[in-house]
Amino acid sequence: MADSKDPAKPRSRGRNVKEGVKGVFYGMAAHGHVTAALRTRMYLEHLFMFITLGDMLGVPVIPPYYSLKILPYAVPNIKSWKQRVFRERDFTDQVF
Amino acid sequence: MVDILATPFLWVVATIALYAVAYWGYGKWIDRNVWRSDAKKATPAHMYMDGVEYFPVSRYVLWGYQFKSVAALGPILGPFIGITFGWLPALLWIIGGNFFIGWLQDYGSMMLSVRKEGRSFGPITYEFTGARGRTNLLAFVLFYLIIISAAFIALIASFWNQFSGTFVATVGILLAGLLCGQLLYRMKMNVFAVTGIGLALVVLSIYLGVRFPITLPWGVWNVPIWGLICAVILYAAAVLPTPMFVQPTNYLAFYPAYAAIILLLVGALATPFTNIPVSMPSGPFLFDPQGILGPIWPILFVAIACGAISGWHSLVSSSSSSKQLDVETDALPVGGGAMLSEGLLALASLIAYMVLLPSDFAGRTNVGAWVLGSVRLTTPFLGSLTGPVLTTFFGLVLIIYALTVQALVTRFFRLVAGETWGEGRFRVLGNKHVSSVVGLAIPWGFAVSGSWWALWLYFGGANQLLAGLAIMLITIHLAKVRAPSRYSLIPGVFMVVTTLAALVWQTGTFLYSVWAYLQNDKTWVLRNVRGPIQTDPNLLILAVAINAVFVIIGAALFVVGVSMAIRLFRSYNRSVAEARAKAPAAADGGTAEKGSP
Repeated sequence: MADSKDPAKPRSRGRNVKEGVKGVFYGMAAHGHVTAALRTRMYLEHLFMFITLGDMLGVPVIPPYYSLKILPYAVPNIKSWKQRVFRERDFTDQVF
Repeated sequence: MVDILATPFLWVVATIALYAVAYWGYGKWIDRNVWRSDAKKATPAHMYMDGVEYFPVSRYVLWGYQFKSVAALGPILGPFIGITFGWLPALLWIIGGNFFIGWLQDYGSMMLSVRKEGRSFGPITYEFTGARGRTNLLAFVLFYLIIISAAFIALIASFWNQFSGTFVATVGILLAGLLCGQLLYRMKMNVFAVTGIGLALVVLSIYLGVRFPITLPWGVWNVPIWGLICAVILYAAAVLPTPMFVQPTNYLAFYPAYAAIILLLVGALATPFTNIPVSMPSGPFLFDPQGILGPIWPILFVAIACGAISGWHSLVSSSSSSKQLDVETDALPVGGGAMLSEGLLALASLIAYMVLLPSDFAGRTNVGAWVLGSVRLTTPFLGSLTGPVLTTFFGLVLIIYALTVQALVTRFFRLVAGETWGEGRFRVLGNKHVSSVVGLAIPWGFAVSGSWWALWLYFGGANQLLAGLAIMLITIHLAKVRAPSRYSLIPGVFMVVTTLAALVWQTGTFLYSVWAYLQNDKTWVLRNVRGPIQTDPNLLILAVAINAVFVIIGAALFVVGVSMAIRLFRSYNRSVAEARAKAPAAADGGTAEKGSP
């Protein structure tokens, strides 16, 4: 899915064609559904983070004691969570 | 072998060649000299990578996703109306519209969003035109969604009514989708196994459709009832969780839909060998010979939207594809390439109409003519399949194209309604059930009362106007960064003027119909509606009311469009003046020039 280019690994032409066809097929058939599933997970994660660590964004929900207990597990997600929550969104983001 | 010049073959080859020039010639030139895409520049997918919305995806995957998102019923049914003016003008618009405007809009929207940190069109509109501009866009999109829903519900109902085997087949695919969703997400079954089961069920559905055709017994009420059934299915699609219904159904529908495109293109290319000549008149007819649609300009340019240019694509390009673009140079193959490929789908559909006789269109009432043409093109090499199987298959393809897109549109309407009316006095309209019912009841009312071509032209008008507005946003950005903007300004002005003229013409037609009724001529009013309202004398006043409502809708669309266009042109003038007063910049945001001595 996250198939970024890697110039360190040259690939044969046949393999490139195979990857291309596979990619097009995956893109047509499933990529939209995978993205939608990821988005659903994102909204659930937002909810969890708001409930547990909402005070980071000025929305205190549970006592800080519990937030601190959860903090070590949530640390890897905090940056992207804040980024997503603060990103400007409107109805045109809902299209796909 | 027949005379090769009499078959559609050469037109197919010529169109493919011109699209190749559009991509490798004009496209590459615009990419290098106007947008100056830079493979080394970080895209939003890398800058804001979160693995959910922003993450880099290979160009092949993104091309497939983009193509699947933009190619639907539009390129199939647009040429049905467009061919009224002769197949030659329709073909020239599919070629020229896509060559100079269509791909440019899809690609430009994607690049604009990439350069604006992956932001969608709403925030960009706000930046360029202020809060009122965004409110205008919201109002416009709400109108647009209602009209597109009305057109698609009308068409699905008509197809179920016309092709008796398709309803059972459609229900079969929906049930197969539900089952596959459960197998995939609840039972955690392997995706290949689920796909195998799903495809077997799709084949079984088509077989059952052929074996058990359904024809409703209520005469002129058949289409309204089919429309109601369609609305119920769409309601379920809008409120149920997507993994349960919409996702697996769309996934299964993908296979027959794309098999049909491939079959049609092969059929069109094989015409010199299958001896199928062009039978429709080439035109050009400057006015609709039947005296209904009006002049070739502006009607043809709104009748054929997808395949030539479509505003919907700008929303797709800027909402998700731009956030997953690996490198800037991928925007041309993904945005531009997918649009040019969609042009081929429109071409294939036009070919399916070109090989029919004018009598096959039955005036303009045979909306399923595409099925007839597709069967004619593919029968020579699929001869072992009988006519009813192919008719059910192609009829089903039409329906699933409309149904899968409409499921997303209804869902989108619900989300937009939730955002618009979620708070305040009208918050009940933000409720997901209420908004879904409203978002289906109003279109159903239009669908069962108005002629589908009238709805289609309003849909085309709204869609093309959205395209014009999107191109103007692109132009404003280019002017702001002092990049050459005339390549998008000219198409943008053309599209805005053409679509506003089309809306004026359409609204004028409905207004004239009401006026003619007041002068005791009821033929015009009845021409714009369908049965049972068209046939029941007791419902004449309802026909007048519907014409009046269409006047109001057309006028509202025109006012919102003009207001939006004025804001955009003012913003463009401001941008040009500001850019002239500032130091040189470039389409890449000014980095190159700022860094240079």
